[in-house]
Amino acid sequence: MTPSLDRLSQRNRFALLALTPILLLFILVIAFPPDGSERAQWAQFIGRFHPIAVHLPIAFILLVPVLELAGRNSRFVYLRPSADFVLGLATVSAILAASLGWCLARSGAYSGPLMTQHMWSGVWLATMCLLCWVLRGRLTGGEFVYSIALALTVGLMTWTGYRGGQLSQGEDHLTEFMPGALRKLLMMSAETRIVSPPSTATFYGARIHPIFEQHCFTCHSANKHKSNLRLDSYASLMRGGKHGMVIKPGNIQSSELFRRITLPATDDDYMPKENKKPLSAAEVKLIELWIAADASATLPLEAIKDAPSPTTAAAEVTFEKVDFAAVAKERAGLAPAVAQLQKRFPNLLDYESRASADLMFNASLLGEKFEDADLASLAPVADHIVIADFSRTAITDHSAAAIAAMKRLRSLRLVHTKITDATVHSLSRLDQLESLNIFGTRTTPAVLPIVAGLPKLRHLYAGETTIRADAPLPAALKDKVLF
Amino acid sequence: MPDSETRPNKQDQQQPAETHQDVRRAVLEAETRRHFLRTLSGGLGTLFMGTLAAKYAPPAFAAVPSSEAALDFTRDASNPLSVLPPQFAAKARRVIYLHMAGAPSQLELFEHKPELTRLDGQDCPASFLAGKRFAFINGVPKLLGSQYPFHQTGQSGQWISDRLPHLEKHIDDLCIIKSMRTDQFNHAPAQLLVHTGNARLGYASFGSWVLYGLGTENQNLPGFIVLLSGGKTPDGGKQLWGSGFLPSVYQGVQCRSHGEPVLYLENPPSVSRPLRRSMLDVIDEINKQTYAEFGNPETVTRIAQYELAFRMQMEATDAMDIRKEPESVRARYASKPGEASFANNCLVARRLAERGVRFIQLYHWGWDSHGSAASEALNIGFVKRCSEVDQPIAALLDDLKQRGLLEDTLLVWGGEFGRTSMRENRGGQQMKFVGRDHNPGAFTIWLAGAGVKPGITHGVTDDMGYEIVKDPVEIRDLHATMLYLLGFDHHELNYRFQGLQQKLTSVKPARIVGEILA
Repeated sequence: MTPSLDRLSQRNRFALLALTPILLLFILVIAFPPDGSERAQWAQFIGRFHPIAVHLPIAFILLVPVLELAGRNSRFVYLRPSADFVLGLATVSAILAASLGWCLARSGAYSGPLMTQHMWSGVWLATMCLLCWVLRGRLTGGEFVYSIALALTVGLMTWTGYRGGQLSQGEDHLTEFMPGALRKLLMMSAETRIVSPPSTATFYGARIHPIFEQHCFTCHSANKHKSNLRLDSYASLMRGGKHGMVIKPGNIQSSELFRRITLPATDDDYMPKENKKPLSAAEVKLIELWIAADASATLPLEAIKDAPSPTTAAAEVTFEKVDFAAVAKERAGLAPAVAQLQKRFPNLLDYESRASADLMFNASLLGEKFEDADLASLAPVADHIVIADFSRTAITDHSAAAIAAMKRLRSLRLVHTKITDATVHSLSRLDQLESLNIFGTRTTPAVLPIVAGLPKLRHLYAGETTIRADAPLPAALKDKVLF
Repeated sequence: MPDSETRPNKQDQQQPAETHQDVRRAVLEAETRRHFLRTLSGGLGTLFMGTLAAKYAPPAFAAVPSSEAALDFTRDASNPLSVLPPQFAAKARRVIYLHMAGAPSQLELFEHKPELTRLDGQDCPASFLAGKRFAFINGVPKLLGSQYPFHQTGQSGQWISDRLPHLEKHIDDLCIIKSMRTDQFNHAPAQLLVHTGNARLGYASFGSWVLYGLGTENQNLPGFIVLLSGGKTPDGGKQLWGSGFLPSVYQGVQCRSHGEPVLYLENPPSVSRPLRRSMLDVIDEINKQTYAEFGNPETVTRIAQYELAFRMQMEATDAMDIRKEPESVRARYASKPGEASFANNCLVARRLAERGVRFIQLYHWGWDSHGSAASEALNIGFVKRCSEVDQPIAALLDDLKQRGLLEDTLLVWGGEFGRTSMRENRGGQQMKFVGRDHNPGAFTIWLAGAGVKPGITHGVTDDMGYEIVKDPVEIRDLHATMLYLLGFDHHELNYRFQGLQQKLTSVKPARIVGEILA
């Protein structure tokens, strides 16, 4: 009996040992909740490991029911005892992950309901792990309670992980690309939830809110309220953040928000932070005028006369830094095929820009020397070609499928080729096509309905075909056909 | 023993400088002539090895380009015109630039100024003259209202005079900038500024920059072609399409507007094409040796030019031959094959655009309407100039639009500066003909095509059309905007020369005119 008694006390010791950090965690979370402020470097540095560490408890917790269930089979009976050890590991790693999570949240300026839910479920998850572990050792014959607790733990872990994912990847990170049919099946709304935007008849709604939306929402809206500040509604904007009000109606000088956006970009207090695109001069001017006009939510759009017009606001052209390493990575897969084709068609095939992996191809300079077989050789890179010019080449309808395979085409030129309606018919799935040029081909008005179905089409060049300028056109092609 | 050891140490502490000198002297004295020669040759050997290593070491920029790195425009030496992708996805892939040398009067074409017409014949207010320099105006000139009636047209309702009846049908395709400004009031420097971004000689022209940045798809034609329309060469001279400090392979190739487009393209009698080829191969070989020996980029230019000329024998003649166009098309351009005319050149420009020529520069001449002679009078020569360009430009726009080329071709029309709101009074006297002096303070250009907002007017001048009151656009702003349309940040398209990262927009800050971008 002594060894088992020993073991029991050993278990007790571990239980107590694990209980201490859990209690500490509760105290931390209650006494020092994340409040949207940024803090100590070290805590933040350590906290950044939270997203990595969370995968440990996930794996361990999932492993436990697997071991338990598999162990029921006589062939795997030896697996069952190890569940105990894995559960212990799960407990330790859950405590670790939760602690790191607190570091991240407390020091990295996180707050908000999503954040709070995730935090509490993480703390409770660690507690549940310990509880499972205790139950597994204590209960003789009462496996039932243990299995319920384990099932609950797995469920809680799923929930915690999902909320965590939403925090870091955005609220719809799982469902963003869910096909419509599946959405319907799950009875989710077909469209993404949108907070009703303020009225565009007001100056605030039409001119100010869009600026915040464009520049500030990533850190200051429903999902994340850094410094406890939300800018996604008029009420929360006027409430301000942890430093108090950020807008003082009629008083530009003491409006913290205005001060922050007009500081030199190198200042620690400058907003928007972290290399996000700064507000343009026109946008700053708009905010200034609005605050000066008492920052009202109801002020009509036309009330401020000399506000910079929206076109001037959009007119400042800025360049984004190109991440050449990312471009190279994107190109890596197709680079060998591109290099080979460039040897075959020198100067005619190239990337659309140094910042992209999309391709442009111009066969028109080869004229009659370019035939269906040549076009077929583009197959390995077909879905990267966005601009293609086959004008005056010898291609025929045999190339229809090869052209249709260039699914991302934006511009297609077939001027003076032997293609007919058959080729145009096969283009119906090119949903990115903006410009189709069939000038001087033998196409007929029969292609018009197909072309009308292309969702992004802006121009159809139909000169010198049997399509006549005075022929009736489908409504979708109004003003889009050039003769 | 201990004594002898401690003594020098002591000395060392007391007079360290002297001891060091002693040691050095001892070292030098120990160095014999033989030592010297041995280390000398060793040193030379090391130097030589150093240069060798540098020669074979990969160049610094071969490392993974970081986002900070300048754009790399290095090309294979045998193919200096090869295509390079633009920095960013570009709206425009080629440019047709219509330069009206001499500076057309904006007040007779696009600038509707009823107030100026009302004040026609009155003395110019002193405020217009204070601190201004003119080419010819003396004393107090008289205000001069527009010589032609204006009307609004198109869906965009833009103003235009009655001098451009064909072009006005395309008014909804044009983006008219009425607030262009320059700091040069004489033709040659002003033209240089418009073409090279600098009023002095020696800078690279816009076309050269574009060719340098993008290369050219059609290797059988020059990537930068210049066509004059008879008359005279622009005052700025051939520097307007020169490559300046860029390797001369990027300079514009001037083609003749009548007769053979490029002289001596035909092989002489009894020289067959294969014979010519083998001759060129030998010359090539020699040139390549020369390049390997001296590394002068101009040798590469020479090789490229021989090769281009050989390939052009086939294609240039065909591209420039407007007789290949149907009579109906020629009629739309008012083109008459065989003569040197702007109309013929517009048609050629369309054929070149179809053949992938990157930069097509057309000149028209005789727009310097001072009023000192009939050919320079607003009511005589100017009328003729308008009729010479109106129909061909409209036909060019027609064709580009119909064939879908306007989508990725940027068309630019303009002179080098504007003309005054006052009638020119050369020598302080009324002149025989009606004319205007140079006005660098405000002029009008228009753009059309790739990435440009159609049917808009940008910028406003005062009621006299004399000075800009809203949205001034400097030449460098125009250049930055055009480069933007071609896919470049104008800071990044640069070339190291004389210790500077030279760029088309030069050193003053240039603004991309975002308002005119579609």
